[in-house]
Amino acid sequence: MQLLRRGQAPAFEVIYERHSSAAFSLAYRIVGTRNGAEDVSQEAFLNLWRSGARYERARGSVRTWVLGIVHHRAIDYLRRATVHDKRRASDEGIEERFEAAERTDVEVARRDEAQAVRTAMDTLPGEQCQVIELAYFGGFTHTEIAGMLETPVGTIKGRMRLGLKKMRDQLSDGAVMR
Amino acid sequence: MESGHDRWGDAAGSYLLGALPEDEHAAYVAHLAGCAECREEVDELTPAIHALPTSVQPMAPPPALKARIMAEVEREASLLAAAGPEADRVAPPRRRRRWSLSLPRLAPVAAAAALLIAGAGIALGVTELGGEDGRTVVATVDQARAPGAAVELETSGRSATLVAHNLPAPPSGRVYQVWTKRPGEAAQPTSVLFTPNRDGAATASVPGSLDGVEQIMVTDEPSGGSTTPTRQPLVVADVS
Repeated sequence: MQLLRRGQAPAFEVIYERHSSAAFSLAYRIVGTRNGAEDVSQEAFLNLWRSGARYERARGSVRTWVLGIVHHRAIDYLRRATVHDKRRASDEGIEERFEAAERTDVEVARRDEAQAVRTAMDTLPGEQCQVIELAYFGGFTHTEIAGMLETPVGTIKGRMRLGLKKMRDQLSDGAVMR
Repeated sequence: MESGHDRWGDAAGSYLLGALPEDEHAAYVAHLAGCAECREEVDELTPAIHALPTSVQPMAPPPALKARIMAEVEREASLLAAAGPEADRVAPPRRRRRWSLSLPRLAPVAAAAALLIAGAGIALGVTELGGEDGRTVVATVDQARAPGAAVELETSGRSATLVAHNLPAPPSGRVYQVWTKRPGEAAQPTSVLFTPNRDGAATASVPGSLDGVEQIMVTDEPSGGSTTPTRQPLVVADVS
């Protein structure tokens, strides 16, 4: 990160190589189209390059920082493109998905982490997992979710809180806690 | 327990998921500042939020994406290098200055910088302020609508970025939109729409050339943006 702060392109390239797959995957999961995911990823990484000095180690890992920027940009993209209704009917095929090659120990560890998180989400009660996904990946407010599910807002907020707490508890002894 | 706490008893999850409606978000952030119990709960749940992105199915970014990004990064890195050893030093975060104050005494330096970078086809200076990286303009913010907010316009090479702190969420159903204003012309819309994050922070890149632009403005507009401003500017940054 020190090199990135000094405007070193090779240092940035290392960060891109380490985190671009996760960033692109998250962007695609949220915006639902290949072009949209590319736009979001490009915007996020250039923002990261230009603002590297604002990274604060105390607030989390570089990966957390990168993915936080991607998430924020992707939700912004959703809101300005108003593609909420289109993204789940994406014309992208599943052939674009791939299982990352196990080239390094880091990649193996990340696949294990991903599996642990998915397992934690799968073990949540369905209604808790649903509201978390609608909010985090869908960009919907709790008021919008309450309307969609015809459920009181207070119940939606409670499900969110309880779901996250259960996830946290399940992951608390794993490597995904950052 | 303070009187307002009960209202926010279940809000931590919604807040962390970005699901608080904009008006509630600002109020909750204000509540957090004075409620240790809620801050503790936010801290407790934060690791789950950080884990969520890793749950998605992995996908390969196209090689062309890297090529596009790295081309821009290398172009900007070359500019930094060409501008000298001091140019790649990031400005201290609190060292702010107003363009209108700094321009006269720095005009000779700016002219030299412009000559230096002319060969690279770049219009905006890199080191006007004694060798620092780019320039920072403190924007005027309507404090009646955004109390405590601070916005700077950072320029580097041909790019310009608005950096906001403590910016409130736009009114419900609206987003912030960036505009450019040239002398004698109406404000022109850009495609940049944004909302600040839960901490009131936001960055927005200003697209296109800044040639002839005298002001960068931000207004709140209906979701999807507008072709002409529907509100008075919340933020105005003088760039000429």
